[in-house]
Amino acid sequence: MMQGSFSSMREAMGKELVRLGELDPDLLVLTADVGDSSRASYFREKFPDRYFNVGIAEQHLVDFAAGLASVGKKPVVVNFSMFLMRAWEQIRNTVARMNLGVKFIATHSGYSDSGDGSSHQSLEDIALMRVLNNFTVVVPADPIEVVKAMPEVISHKGPVYVRVGRDYSPPVTQGFDYEFKLGKASVLREGDDVAVVGAGVVLWDAIQAAEQLSRMGISAAVINLSTIKPLDESLLEYYARKTGRMVTVEEHSIIGGLGSAVAESVVKRYPVPMRMVGATTFGRSARSQRELLDHFGINAESIVKSVLEVVG
Amino acid sequence: MGRADAQPISLEELNMLREVAERARKNVIRMLFYDQSIHVGSSLSSIEILTTLIFKYQAADHSPQDRNWLILSKGHAAPALYAVLSEKGIIREDELWKIQSLEGILQGHPEIFIPSVDMSTGSLGQGLSFGLGVAKGMKMSGRKGKVFVIMGDGEQDEGQVWEGFTQKVVKELDNIVVFVELNGYQLDGDVNSIKPKSFLQTVWREAGWTTLTCDGHDFMSILSAIEEAQKAAAPVVIFASTLRGKGFKPIENTKYQRSSPDDARKFLLNA
Repeated sequence: MMQGSFSSMREAMGKELVRLGELDPDLLVLTADVGDSSRASYFREKFPDRYFNVGIAEQHLVDFAAGLASVGKKPVVVNFSMFLMRAWEQIRNTVARMNLGVKFIATHSGYSDSGDGSSHQSLEDIALMRVLNNFTVVVPADPIEVVKAMPEVISHKGPVYVRVGRDYSPPVTQGFDYEFKLGKASVLREGDDVAVVGAGVVLWDAIQAAEQLSRMGISAAVINLSTIKPLDESLLEYYARKTGRMVTVEEHSIIGGLGSAVAESVVKRYPVPMRMVGATTFGRSARSQRELLDHFGINAESIVKSVLEVVG
Repeated sequence: MGRADAQPISLEELNMLREVAERARKNVIRMLFYDQSIHVGSSLSSIEILTTLIFKYQAADHSPQDRNWLILSKGHAAPALYAVLSEKGIIREDELWKIQSLEGILQGHPEIFIPSVDMSTGSLGQGLSFGLGVAKGMKMSGRKGKVFVIMGDGEQDEGQVWEGFTQKVVKELDNIVVFVELNGYQLDGDVNSIKPKSFLQTVWREAGWTTLTCDGHDFMSILSAIEEAQKAAAPVVIFASTLRGKGFKPIENTKYQRSSPDDARKFLLNA
């Protein structure tokens, strides 16, 4: 029913928030003047009294939401990923330290704000958010998974960071029947020789890479690590043991991101040779997110190359 | 301001508040025997305001939904908060001497696991935004409590303070009272020499706040300002004139936060 009904992750998120808002009168949506571009505005149209545009004021946005949460409201902060990071210290010192149930929906993540360039492209947010105590960090793969994840995220007690993109949304999970659970990874493709682990839109490239590899006689599993924190360590260990090699892929810096998270777990449970595909520098402007992923070598070609390195 | 006609308090009660504040002041200075790194100067600036809010406006039972909230945005005045809470019987006096030690619960800045603390603070400029969220949330749920926020004048340097008091929703909130203590000092010296502050009352007022003033060490003045604030149909900010290190001569009205146990001993012997 949900499949293919949304054009992008932000569309899916904006509409799902309205549906959840109908079920829970305490659900509030807050933004710092990016209601239209983040699609938080759908909520404003339906529930104007439960929608707050605090102005271009991200630090205040975070603590205002924290205050609302501390008296039993369920605030959902919807803002550009990069500019939420401006309020990282507020997120750390108030929301995380007090373990308040503020939900952050970070749009325009990765290279998805392709035209605006590196000032708007968020390639460090997973690292910054997963380091925080009490936080859950979720990176849905596509609009379908956004819709699956949102009810889980909203009903979770503590703070959650959800990373979504802008428009480019290949149908990564379309046709896959699985139950979304926070902290649970899902398997997009079985394989024996190597496990390719990723999250978000780049899983599309992981699937393409697995198909190319299969033509070369290499069997690659593809894991959708949609929750970066807490990490599904038992599933990662299972695939480390099963395949003996891992390649991670992320639309994020390879320092501190998904690859680092996987390595931190695998190195203590069952160390295997690994490679990490991801960003190594700031982004830049381009006409599309797809162009940027290819420009910076975060694509099927790089994944295949990394797999061949570890398969040897 | 309004001192002649307002009689919000009996003489006995006024004397009780003065005695509480005097004991709390001594206990903050006494903490110097145990830890010389606490912010004594900023704490002594806040004693009377905290005493008023905790003894007159804070219920002993912290659980009811309609209770008032107290947010010490200038979290470095935590020793004063703890000393007054101890007078109220919420924190045991012997706990005060364990401040900032591994053996005690009292942190250098307030944390919500300490009894009666409503917000974990310490990083400046965040209490106003949080307090506005609490106030708006209480309004939306039909709760009756008030939100009191205590800030410093140096704290007004933080851009987030501007972000908070200019929010549109603020104008609907008649359930928040913010104290801005004007003690004239921040860490590196005189507040105005570091960043101008003279326009503060004007900009808060222009943003829709009812602005009042009081003597932040005079109970009648503080109480009259709060009484007047209760009548306002708008959010209220009370600019309270105070002295850093009030009553403790070695550091009174200076930028210095700390003093020696020897100075503390001399003060307590003569007090």
